[in-house]
Amino acid sequence: MLLTVDVAGTVPLYQQIRDRIVEAIATGEQPPGSALPSIRQLAMDLGINFHTVNKAYDMLRQEGLVQLNRKTGAIIASGVPGDEFAAEWTARLRTLLAEAMAQGLSPEQILSISRDTLSGFAPPPPARDEKP
Amino acid sequence: MITLTTLFPVALVGVMTCLLPALVAPTVPFGVRIPADRVGEPVVRRQRRIYFWTVGTVTVAATVGAYFGPLWLVPIIAVAIVPIALVCYAFARRAIKSAKAAGNWYAGLTQATATDTTWRSQPLRFPWLWALPSLAILLATVVTGAVRYSNLPDRLAIHFNANGVADRYVSRSPAAAFVGLWPQLFITALVVVLLLLTYRSRPETDAADPAGSTDRYRRFLSRFARGILVMIALVNATMLLASLQIWQLVPVNSSTIGLTSALPIVGVVLLLAVALRTGQAGVRLNGRGAATTSVVNRDDDRYWKGGLIYVNRGDPAVVVPRRFGIGWTFNFAHPLAWLILAAIVGAIVAIKTLSR
Repeated sequence: MLLTVDVAGTVPLYQQIRDRIVEAIATGEQPPGSALPSIRQLAMDLGINFHTVNKAYDMLRQEGLVQLNRKTGAIIASGVPGDEFAAEWTARLRTLLAEAMAQGLSPEQILSISRDTLSGFAPPPPARDEKP
Repeated sequence: MITLTTLFPVALVGVMTCLLPALVAPTVPFGVRIPADRVGEPVVRRQRRIYFWTVGTVTVAATVGAYFGPLWLVPIIAVAIVPIALVCYAFARRAIKSAKAAGNWYAGLTQATATDTTWRSQPLRFPWLWALPSLAILLATVVTGAVRYSNLPDRLAIHFNANGVADRYVSRSPAAAFVGLWPQLFITALVVVLLLLTYRSRPETDAADPAGSTDRYRRFLSRFARGILVMIALVNATMLLASLQIWQLVPVNSSTIGLTSALPIVGVVLLLAVALRTGQAGVRLNGRGAATTSVVNRDDDRYWKGGLIYVNRGDPAVVVPRRFGIGWTFNFAHPLAWLILAAIVGAIVAIKTLSR
């Protein structure tokens, strides 16, 4: 994947790294089982602090999206989403949709934009293994 | 013959120094980072013109002076080209920096840093096969020396002057007989280790075109590393030839002396030919992939002292591509860089002591 981070913007670097990787998983660029650079390698390649990348990878690990391995680095996980995820994400989505409505977008516009964005993502893999 | 071997390096240094601004990325003229849309600015073009004509004229004058002038003048001329070029570089740099600050060239631009993770998921493989000739020559040196040792005279000539007459003798000993071997081992080991380190370090990535710039860098590293290994093989061959002269297996005449000067120069020329074709970090190679993003590389001038020396405590990299130059340099904020330098100095001191 191509990972670009805005160094002078308002979004923290670790958040940008985490967000870009999540998007790459959704578009299929980083399918389950594929490898990411190790924390040390990514920090070196972006020229940023090791702890920044560590924080981003740790977030992904806690979300269950990435498995960290001493030897092989980071692998994209292939698990099923937990129930807590859907509830928490729905709450965040409510805020995002409310923002759009408050700023004057119509429900049709919101749905149309959502559809376009989703069509850019890869379809979910056919069979998913249960995580222990 | 002697005139040619002193003339050629002078011309070579001058030509490469003169062409250097054309071999580096257009977004870092004279070590100043500028956004891509400012590459054609009048101040940038003017400074490049001034540098080229000044250094070019000095090169021509130096080469002519080296040819017609007395022999003692040649080293002075050869050494003078680089400081003069540095002065031009400093002036050009100052002009561009002040224009950049006055015009606020980075206003409104999104500054980013980017990477293509295929650099790590499909890493470039070290060209071990190209290191074999050096190892073969090393082995040949050891074997030949070991076989020849018993037939060597008690007084060994280990240095010859420019006319081929021996001017330094030592008593026979393994350390004396193998005086050419230690530099061979050292240089070969040093270059291989540094190249291995470079293969693990990061590419020169342009945030405006991460995929294309990484691909060009791959091709650059691939070719340049092979060029370096060829040069090292030729340097090793030169030292084998010098050892053969010491062991009296090869006569010390103008042909063999000429060969010891010519072989390393051939190696350097080949390497520079690669650099001319690829440009630093592959910038002169055809891009595969258009500029894909609307961001620009971040302005990291403050980490490049004088545009030449990289010092960045927040960067975990030890080895980084040069900004104004071909090849790589150290991140001098990293302790490992100093450790490596100390090890090199230590090894050189050890070799000099062994050769006594």
